[in-house]
Amino acid sequence: MTIDFKNLPKEELFGQGNVGCKGCGAAIAGRQAMKVLGERTIITIPASCMATLGGNNTKTTWKVPFYHTLFECAPAISSGIRAALEIQGIKDVNVISWGGDAGSADIGFQSLTGAAERQEHMIHVLYDNEMYMNTGGQTGSQTPLYAITSNGALGKKVRKKNMMAIMEAHGIDYAASANIAYPEDLMNKFKKAASKKGFSYIHILAPCHRGWGIKPEDTVEVSRKATECGMWELFEVDEGKRTRTYEPSFIRVADYLKAQGRFKNVTAEQTAELQESVDKYYGRGE
Amino acid sequence: MAVKSLPIVPSGDPGALAEASNYSTWRILRPEITEPDKVNPIVTLYCPDGALTLEESGVALNYKFCKGCGICAKESAGIRMAPEYTGPKGVF
Amino acid sequence: MNKVLITGSEAAAIGAKLAKIEVLGYYPITPAFPAMERLSKYIEDGELNCKFIRVESDHSALAAVLGGSLAGARSYTVTNSQGLLLMTEVVYHVAGLRQPIVMGVANRALSAPHSRFPEHGDAVSQGASGWIQLFSENNQDVLDNTIQAFRIAEERRTPVMVNYEGYIQSHTLEEVFVPEQDKVDAFLPLKRMPALDVSDPRGVNTVAGPDVYTDYKYIQNAAMEQALTIIPTVAAEYNKVFGANSCGLVEGYMMEDAEHVIAAMGSIVSTARLLVDELRKQGKKIGLIKVRAWRPFPVQAVKELLHNVKFVTVLDKNIVFGVGGALATDIKANLYGQGNMVINGVILGLGGGKCGVKEIKEAVDHTESSETNKNRSEWIGL
Repeated sequence: MTIDFKNLPKEELFGQGNVGCKGCGAAIAGRQAMKVLGERTIITIPASCMATLGGNNTKTTWKVPFYHTLFECAPAISSGIRAALEIQGIKDVNVISWGGDAGSADIGFQSLTGAAERQEHMIHVLYDNEMYMNTGGQTGSQTPLYAITSNGALGKKVRKKNMMAIMEAHGIDYAASANIAYPEDLMNKFKKAASKKGFSYIHILAPCHRGWGIKPEDTVEVSRKATECGMWELFEVDEGKRTRTYEPSFIRVADYLKAQGRFKNVTAEQTAELQESVDKYYGRGE
Repeated sequence: MAVKSLPIVPSGDPGALAEASNYSTWRILRPEITEPDKVNPIVTLYCPDGALTLEESGVALNYKFCKGCGICAKESAGIRMAPEYTGPKGVF
Repeated sequence: MNKVLITGSEAAAIGAKLAKIEVLGYYPITPAFPAMERLSKYIEDGELNCKFIRVESDHSALAAVLGGSLAGARSYTVTNSQGLLLMTEVVYHVAGLRQPIVMGVANRALSAPHSRFPEHGDAVSQGASGWIQLFSENNQDVLDNTIQAFRIAEERRTPVMVNYEGYIQSHTLEEVFVPEQDKVDAFLPLKRMPALDVSDPRGVNTVAGPDVYTDYKYIQNAAMEQALTIIPTVAAEYNKVFGANSCGLVEGYMMEDAEHVIAAMGSIVSTARLLVDELRKQGKKIGLIKVRAWRPFPVQAVKELLHNVKFVTVLDKNIVFGVGGALATDIKANLYGQGNMVINGVILGLGGGKCGVKEIKEAVDHTESSETNKNRSEWIGL
């Protein structure tokens, strides 16, 4: 790893004392991002675990202005915040909306696509645990094929909605996928996004051990396996130019699936199907 | 009955959760740094709770914030998990 | 003061422009959109220094305006009926966050069935939301209410809805006196109160437990009740500074010896004035009360005006199903135990239905008739 640890900011702008579960992937993502974004940041978070674990009553773990928004409209709120900052001549503040999969890809999608289309000067982060964890772990559009959830014991019958492709189609300044197991890559992407004048989108894989059926200590390792088997590609689209930012080692997809309780009923045929689609995507074995 | 004194916009004080926290009651296992030279500083970025920080002397662990998830021990040499409670067990 | 011939939509837009709004968000809806377009034109022509956020839904419109307000800017939006109902979640949220947002509402009926015609159903649906609600009798009121709304809202951090009727006011030309910018600047000094400020970070809207939620609501309600004092004070100052004729919470017309009183809000008040004049010429002791502030409900003021009265005809251009008209219900509830006056709640003008002098006279006659069942709402114009 070539992170310059000595020069990372010492201050913990988020995370200490957070009331999330032990081993929370979302909290890991938040901590890594804040090391780059710094204290001149305003962050809006729609209803989600991340919003809830950030504080209750008159206490919060955040040391930057944080606002727990209504479910659907964090990107719209952020648009308003940016407008207010601009009219007051305040130019050097990062405006971030940080939503879960529901608050970005489903119920929050409308305001996300609106803000992206307007090329608002902000970053939207989708921290992805691939299910609606704050309400107990129900199926959402970001739940992958065959995954078991709290309201889908038979496994999801349709594929995960491709948010990176959708956001790329908006022609925004910057879109990137990231993973908490690759902090240097994630932090570089936040640095790039923060420098853009228009809209940036960062989609972070942040496993939830409760929802995924893994042990808390395995959170980072399973997240790593998702990228190493090829199912979670790390790439960026910078002003229209697409670059893969990490070359996976291509462990078997089965290694990744078997490590998780939510894929416990996946059959050999289904695993082979997934392996084949990954191989095809990366142009391997032809 | 007197109404409580609350901020006019419902909100929380920054960093107040950090001051109030003490996760010893959450832990079943606690990490111990057994070989400080072998600890990979990456664990400071893998800890969900900001319990591991990089000091001049190396990686330091603040038990006030640690929930005992075990990610650091898994991701780095030089840290192992030990039981939080080592006293008598059983139903009292 | 400049006298111009403008629509209610233009009056609302001029009010917001004079108030120097800084963040504007809106989503077009009939019949509110002319006010929106007028404001966009002011911005594009360089007459108003304001950031406009072209949102993709009404819910996002109020959300964007809320974001602007939280970050310290004076913010405004316009909507009505379906749009207002879609943003209801944000409406309650804004009031709970104590943001001084002003919203123009070009009142329109609610679907289903689909109607684009004026009535107060949309405003009434937000009665419990914690927003102050002012009703406008004419386009002058629309302008005056809009300017005063910013002052009232910022005074006690309670958002304000300025209601005016679709088409009857939004699209109809009337003479309006427009105040000078420098006088409005002095009347509406800009006080920034950001809740999201990097120099003073806070965690806004953290999860509130049962031990604090009730207290927050108590404080919010107390602020709403304080508006009962602020609204008349601001109106009095406005009248003094601008030579205007704003009423405070409620205003009586021909009330000195009135035995029968018509109570109403919105444009129907000016229609009712015509009937009162006509009946007074015939010797009838009839008067009228114009309710300008419907939320908070001006209990004391209404009680005083209706003190020695025998009959009250309450006109409601709305229906709260299973209960009756909103204004009639509020008046009946708050006058409980005061004398034995007859209060007749009349529903008329729904979905743009007829509510002229003839219909109001029919209502007035029915109030005094022993055959009318005063325990049920009376529907006119079927």
